[in-house]
Amino acid sequence: MTDKIEKNNQINDNEEVQEDLSQNSTSAGDVETIPVAQQTVRTILRRFAELIFLLLFVSTLLFFLLRLTGDPAAILAGETGDQEQLELIRKQYGFDKPLYIQYGVFLMKMVVFDFGTSLANAQDALGLVLERLPTSFTLVLIAFTANLIISIPLGAWLGSRPDRTGRKLGSTGVFILQGIPGYITGLILIQVFSVELRWLPSIGNQGPESWIMPAITLASFQAPQVIRVISANVSEAMREDYIRTARANGAGFNTLLWKHALKNAMLGATALIGAQVSFLIGGSIITEVIFAWPGLGRLLVTSVTTLDFPVVQAAVFVISVFVYLSITATDLAFIFIDPRLRRQRA
Amino acid sequence: MTLQTEMENRDIGNLDNEVILNVKDVVVQFPRPKKKTPFNAVNGVSFELRKGETLGLVGESGSGKSMTALSLLGLVPVPGRIIEGSINLRDRRIDNLPINELRKVRGNDLGMVFQDPMTGLNPVRNIGSQLCESVIRHQNVSKSEALEIAFQALDDVGIPSARDRLEAFPHELSGGLRQRVMIALALINHPEVIIADEATTALDATIQAQILDLFRERLANATMILITHDMGVAAEICDRIAVMYAGRIVETGTIEEVLSSPRHPYTMGLLSAVPRFDIRRPKLVPIPGQPPTAEDIVQGCAFSSRCKFTKENCAERPLLEKRDNRQVACWFPKGEV
Repeated sequence: MTDKIEKNNQINDNEEVQEDLSQNSTSAGDVETIPVAQQTVRTILRRFAELIFLLLFVSTLLFFLLRLTGDPAAILAGETGDQEQLELIRKQYGFDKPLYIQYGVFLMKMVVFDFGTSLANAQDALGLVLERLPTSFTLVLIAFTANLIISIPLGAWLGSRPDRTGRKLGSTGVFILQGIPGYITGLILIQVFSVELRWLPSIGNQGPESWIMPAITLASFQAPQVIRVISANVSEAMREDYIRTARANGAGFNTLLWKHALKNAMLGATALIGAQVSFLIGGSIITEVIFAWPGLGRLLVTSVTTLDFPVVQAAVFVISVFVYLSITATDLAFIFIDPRLRRQRA
Repeated sequence: MTLQTEMENRDIGNLDNEVILNVKDVVVQFPRPKKKTPFNAVNGVSFELRKGETLGLVGESGSGKSMTALSLLGLVPVPGRIIEGSINLRDRRIDNLPINELRKVRGNDLGMVFQDPMTGLNPVRNIGSQLCESVIRHQNVSKSEALEIAFQALDDVGIPSARDRLEAFPHELSGGLRQRVMIALALINHPEVIIADEATTALDATIQAQILDLFRERLANATMILITHDMGVAAEICDRIAVMYAGRIVETGTIEEVLSSPRHPYTMGLLSAVPRFDIRRPKLVPIPGQPPTAEDIVQGCAFSSRCKFTKENCAERPLLEKRDNRQVACWFPKGEV
């Protein structure tokens, strides 16, 4: 035993420090932490390059798919239009040219964001789309904010002590809510608050009071998903070793939940929330139709049914850009939440 | 530190020092709703910890040593709880404190170092904020003062460029450094008693030696409970050891006495199962059989089914009896058979 003590004492202080340092660099490999700002810029640049390819791909696919759906000239000419009229319309819009020439022209114009004019009312297609953006974004922003304000605290609370009766009931309620489709919620809201109580307008965008029901409808089927993910992640995080460490240092329940467990639980939820925002931007189509909301989603549906090619192209273009922005924002959120993602190969 | 001063520091005969921690007949019970009988993970453990003394709690997995440590901090995982006994820190009973009083004890009067430094620190918060959280909770200091205390604590446990490490996240540190951070965290409020639960087990051999050195140098005079299944580690650090088996202490004594002349058959078995470099032995001798599990209700001596000295007396459970300076729970301790 004395031998052992002597042997170990031979490791002196210097060696000890050196070994620890070398251990540090080998365990981390050739990976080192780079500044958040630099990483942010890198992510944005990479995403931007990807975006250009994505737009090209989506537009091309859409271009050919749309031309499989039918003849817009026939719709424009109406039931009374004769052959002569059809030819005239085709010539006017360039539909008489071979497909590859149409495609070439389309691409060249897309580079300068010229999608042509709407077949329905001769307005600039992109202008029509951009006109709808603020209305759509109002809804997206309200639904997103409401979703986070409700989901994060509620999810954390439900997950913090999943064995308690109150929280079991809460979780069951969330589960049931998740099963209700958005259009049912929307119709019930209209029935109660517009038809019976006459408190809120049921159609269109007539100012803040008409934002409430569409936003609730959207949040009501997105929030349960987030609540359930956060709740599951929090309840898992509360069993982690670092929670025990914090508890052994005197941390109270609130510190454990809000300062230790929640941030870890948000890692998993961030991906879901990002995907939900993409979905919202892509047109909360059903909700917009139910509430006759003059947003992007409804414009897209109308344009597709009337074969208004330029507007469909412009709308999909704009939606793609914003979906990509939301994906990039999600990536950046990850970098800010999880320090482990700040490592890059040097 | 030379060997000589170290031996002086260890001050083997410090039985006269005041008792800091007094654990008496603690029973930690886990209810088992599906079975009728509950399970006692700790089954009547008593020991005293004197100022400046390092007590080793040794035993194999499931012997209740970790649960004993957790019970000191009131950290027994639910649904388990302490159903009997008392724990006194100096004159204050701490096992039945209300939760907000208990939180003032945790990390302040009792500091705990856990086994796994890889998972024991929050991965998304930097080292400084985790250290400061504990400092601000227990000491009346500002954020910047807390950071200074945190820096000092890291520096004290031999972490190089400690100032920069405050900003570091756990994944940026090696296992050895993380364990040093865990130790710094346990020591940061200068607790009266330090409890180290398998603090070196998860580390590889060279790092383990460094951490043991740290314990010897930095904590030579600390009042400490060291939990380990490694007799070698216990031999290097501890003044006294208590050998646990099936939720009970079966033998206690000074480290020298117990290691050189074990009296309980289980301790003897444990020691002959430890590899040694200093003497040549034909082979390691494992203890036959398995320790009793939660399913087994043992009436008599829990070790009797594995013991080669079992006689009819062993059907009745032997108590931990004081013999000289030592305590042995056996009807036929070695030297008396």
